Amino acid sequence: MTLTGIGVTVRQAGPDDAVGGVLPRWVALPESVEEIAALLRACAEQDLAVVPVGGGTKLHWGAPPERCDVLLDMCCMNAVLEHAAGDLVVRVQAGATMDALAAELAGKGQELALDVPSGAGSTVGGTLAAGLPGPRAFRFGTARDLLIGITVVLADGTVARSGGKVVKNVAGYDLGKLFAGSYGSLGVIAEAVFRLHPLPAERRWVVAEPALDEVPAIALALAASQAEPSAVEVDRPDPDGPLVLAALVEGTAAEARARALRDVVGGGEVIGQPPSWWGRVPSGEVLAEVRFPPTATGAVLDAAAGAGTALRGSPVAGRLLLATDGQLAVSALRKTVEDAGGRVVVLATPDSGVDRWGQISGLALMRRVKERFDPGRRMSPGRFVGGI
Amino acid sequence: MDPKLINDCVHCGFCLPTCPTYVLWGEEMDSPRGRIHLMSQHVEGTPMTPEMAGHFDACLGCMACVTACPSGVQYDRLIEQTRVEVEREHERPPQERAVRGIVFNLFPYPRRLRLLRPTLGLTGRMAPFLARVNPSLGAMAGLAPRVERRQRLPRVVRARGERRAVVGMLLGCVQREFFPQVNAATARVLAMEGCDVVIPPGQGCCGALSVHSGLEAQAKRLARRTVRTFEKAGVDTVVVNAAGCGSSMKEYATLLGYDPGFRVMDLSEFLAELGPVATRHPLPRTVAYHDACHLAHAQGVRSQPRQLLSGIPELELREIPESAICCGSAGTYNLLQPEAARDLGDRKAKAVESTGAQLLVSANPGCTMQIAAAMRRAGADIRVAHTAEVLDASLRGAAL
Amino acid sequence: MEELTAALHSLLPEDLVITDPVRLRTYECDGLTYHRATPGVVVLPETAEQVARVVRLCNDFGVPFVARGSGTGLSGGALPREDGVLIVTAKMRRILDIDLDNRRAVVEPGVTNLAITEAVRDQGYYYAPDPSSQQVCSIGGNVAENSGGAHCLKYGFTVNHVEACEIVTPDGDLVTLDRMDPGYDLLGAFIGSEGTLGIATKITVRLSRAPEAVTTVLAAFESLEQGGEAVSAIIGAGIVPAAIEMMDALSIEAAEAAVACGYPAGAGAVLVVELDGPAAEVERQFTRLEEICSAAFELRVAAGPAERAAIWKGRKSAFAAVGRISPAYIVQDGVVPRTSLPAVLAAIDRLSAEHGIRVANVFHAGDGNLHPLVLFDDAEPGAGERAEVVSGAILDLCIEHGGSITGEHGVGVDKSRYMPKMFGVDDLDTMQLVRCAFDPRGLSNPGKVFPTPRLCGEVPGVRKGVHPLVESGKAEQF
Repeated sequence: MTLTGIGVTVRQAGPDDAVGGVLPRWVALPESVEEIAALLRACAEQDLAVVPVGGGTKLHWGAPPERCDVLLDMCCMNAVLEHAAGDLVVRVQAGATMDALAAELAGKGQELALDVPSGAGSTVGGTLAAGLPGPRAFRFGTARDLLIGITVVLADGTVARSGGKVVKNVAGYDLGKLFAGSYGSLGVIAEAVFRLHPLPAERRWVVAEPALDEVPAIALALAASQAEPSAVEVDRPDPDGPLVLAALVEGTAAEARARALRDVVGGGEVIGQPPSWWGRVPSGEVLAEVRFPPTATGAVLDAAAGAGTALRGSPVAGRLLLATDGQLAVSALRKTVEDAGGRVVVLATPDSGVDRWGQISGLALMRRVKERFDPGRRMSPGRFVGGI
Repeated sequence: MDPKLINDCVHCGFCLPTCPTYVLWGEEMDSPRGRIHLMSQHVEGTPMTPEMAGHFDACLGCMACVTACPSGVQYDRLIEQTRVEVEREHERPPQERAVRGIVFNLFPYPRRLRLLRPTLGLTGRMAPFLARVNPSLGAMAGLAPRVERRQRLPRVVRARGERRAVVGMLLGCVQREFFPQVNAATARVLAMEGCDVVIPPGQGCCGALSVHSGLEAQAKRLARRTVRTFEKAGVDTVVVNAAGCGSSMKEYATLLGYDPGFRVMDLSEFLAELGPVATRHPLPRTVAYHDACHLAHAQGVRSQPRQLLSGIPELELREIPESAICCGSAGTYNLLQPEAARDLGDRKAKAVESTGAQLLVSANPGCTMQIAAAMRRAGADIRVAHTAEVLDASLRGAAL
Repeated sequence: MEELTAALHSLLPEDLVITDPVRLRTYECDGLTYHRATPGVVVLPETAEQVARVVRLCNDFGVPFVARGSGTGLSGGALPREDGVLIVTAKMRRILDIDLDNRRAVVEPGVTNLAITEAVRDQGYYYAPDPSSQQVCSIGGNVAENSGGAHCLKYGFTVNHVEACEIVTPDGDLVTLDRMDPGYDLLGAFIGSEGTLGIATKITVRLSRAPEAVTTVLAAFESLEQGGEAVSAIIGAGIVPAAIEMMDALSIEAAEAAVACGYPAGAGAVLVVELDGPAAEVERQFTRLEEICSAAFELRVAAGPAERAAIWKGRKSAFAAVGRISPAYIVQDGVVPRTSLPAVLAAIDRLSAEHGIRVANVFHAGDGNLHPLVLFDDAEPGAGERAEVVSGAILDLCIEHGGSITGEHGVGVDKSRYMPKMFGVDDLDTMQLVRCAFDPRGLSNPGKVFPTPRLCGEVPGVRKGVHPLVESGKAEQF
């Protein structure tokens, strides 16, 4: 077996290249869509399993791959291809880091309204594939909502794109939706087109430390406020400690609106910089994402405290991350959360025996999608829901 | 059926949510768009099948679709032409013929209606039995109002104070026989606002019922007579307090092919244009105003009655949800299509009830009879009144 | 068909199955009348279970089915099949639940778009996507088409406002697709699939909080160019209005004739700009907007809801209103990058002059979504053909400028032949993989969206080269 002669830079993998403990044989470093296609065609011919990777910041998420022959590193495809500022649209290669993209856009007073912690090295493709929502998803939606076009390479080397460079477009199926949050299991995201927003003139955070039992009501009131917060997040690093709540307001009248929100919260301070924890993934060996209807906030906070985890996330969007270095009693947590109308997904855990995903109504259909896109099960096999 | 009028329809469907039968059943052929499609099928040579005729018969003629249509389709003219065609080509089953016979030989004739008055108490009690025999007969009996004492109006009611106008007044058939108090109130209000009210004694039916049911010959005959009566009376404005009559009379030029020589105005339209002079006394009531289709959709009169009612001190006006949807009365519809009419009546009754109003006001006797009956069925009685009666009470400082 | 009809009769109450030919024909087209086909049979189910049973029956008989809501689509997405079943969801119109704390409502597919807003308006909420036909179009249809509307500039489309759908899959299973569930975003893929991946039977929509302030401005310009410059300047100033709509002189004339909207006389273009949000923001944005629109010869600001509705009335009735100034017309739905608008409008002008066909322009200027109304007289020989040529050339223009052939009306049957111009064979084949995953037998609204005959063979994988059906002469690739 060999990957030479196909015109793609390939090196031997080292111990640092392992994915969930599975060591690939090669690391491929394609520099163009055509090179990705050539690589995947070669892999198809030799039945090699491929795991695409961006900045590698979330590579330990999801189940370890069943097998992994090639780690497809997108680092060389990092160009911002086209920033049409007048159209509020950007086309970018998947390997570009979110930081580099943000810097380029900021030059024209614009931004991609996805909150990825700066300096982390996350790439566009990885951010899309992991699909983790940030604080402002409450107002702007998640990656799939801001993605308007995508170029992907399938397991057999087929290059396909859907969507386009215009925000409004309903021609054909939206492959971007399928690939966003697909953990690399359908193919390789090569390029993406996003809709952009103007950078807000001002940003203010209202930061307060409300009593725990007041949080659900405050969250509902903030969500319903016509002062329109862009995000409302809570942070509780210690399951027995205090909870900090922060609400973000963006716009030319941010200061006045923030003061209005402070009244809703019932106290706190208005500051011009985010709290240090804002938008960051809490650290811990075990990381779980809880999604829930906002009215279940109280129940979820209780469940997290009961599970002894740190928590961070948005009670208004109904999404919290729980983190711990200890054991997480997943099935008990899941039972409580599901009873409250929510879901628990274990994003990262060293424990291979855990049911990471829980029950999914559409799983049978998902399997059929996987079968069509990757019949040889060569794209990140076993990484995603139901062992897809 | 004029193919040109049919072609105006661009099939956008904006009429669907305003159509009472579509609201009830959600079926294309019982929507204006679907009926126009049926008309085009007929024009293209499909014979008038009983199914087709049934969908045309099910149309209430409320004209809400005309209001809603952005393309300006003249559905009112189309359905009238279609009804003539239905009468010409469609053989109705015997029982249906019998009911229609009763309706069209009774209601357009005030004198025949008058003969019926003493029996109304009895028919009301017989309604359940009649309904078993024939739903239409049951509906007729169930709707029958409690009749007020007859009031004979003079030929002329003189203006109170300075005379500001001279108007003719149409008495109507059902209005005259079953709601004489409405006509009396109308005449008083007009007089108190400074109008000489001319009420020609020889007036009969205006022809509205016949027009709306495709009985073209009867319609023309009745219309011609009405025109002659008011021409002889020498008035240049005829005020009408029944929405159905007013809308038909406004179309006399089209029906007869000549200009009647006087303008027809709804009472509220006329009063709003004239402007108030008489003192309004407070009426501390919550009032729900119901848009009669033939006033709101056919004549476009919506703001004027609201304006008049709002002008009464201490009167609180409430809007009825889904106000554009017909109550199911629709002229003779509640007699000829009793099931659909009943469903629509129940729907309207629920909407009226949701306003919490004490009094339901409308400009059409059919509507108030229909809604009051539906509310009685639901065990939620509400007082009903004509706009004229409310104004009359306020102007006179009397209770309602 | 007869056997199938008999089976349907045993499955559903009698009045929910339509077989009378006169009645069937009233379902022969949706809002696009250019394509017509009388359905083999029409069913009007009242429950999701009934929909599922009908779909399973279609599978048993190998008969295609097409779903239809209010039949207002403008691309023929609900065009029936003569050999198939038309499943009309118009009787499924209950609002099942309203949960303001969680900002969602659960509705059946036949509920109209506007009915949702009306149900929650008094409590200060609304459902954001607002297609012009919102008082009649059904939410099920919105899901199928991923409908937008004037306000999607700021708030996005149906796909951004639907939280979950219960669907009947093409093989007749009831499945819930929920944004909350992990796994592939099948909900996102389903929305906008134009009925080819199944039928939505229950939809959970997100409700939005009504903005504190709404300012609706009508700006009248002497020319379309001036209006276009104002649009660019608004976006350039970092303002994201809720909507920026533009109408040219011809469409203003039509709207005036239809609804007497009272737009300023003599305008070469009017812009309807709506700012909404917190009062303090709207105030500042409005000050900026006034400066930007200094070239306007008249600037009207709606004083209240009634005046706001009056301004919108002209815009929202524009399509159907064109019926007043032209016996027939074709509505197009192309999209171009906003910055290409001036060039594209000029090119449309040239096309119009060249072919002697009038084109009225109504468009969502903020997102570059054009709705050229190509006017013609169907009584005039050859006019329809010339209008088709102009209409097609406009779509070519959109593709040339990196845009799309449809921004919100969908591909349907009308524009499927343009799909290969916008997408390559591999792109379309890849989309077909999704289709095959959901609907391997190709029974769900076949013949829509994609121009090529579908074939989901036993051996999965991307088809290459000439399609076997084409090769054997059984089908033709457009």
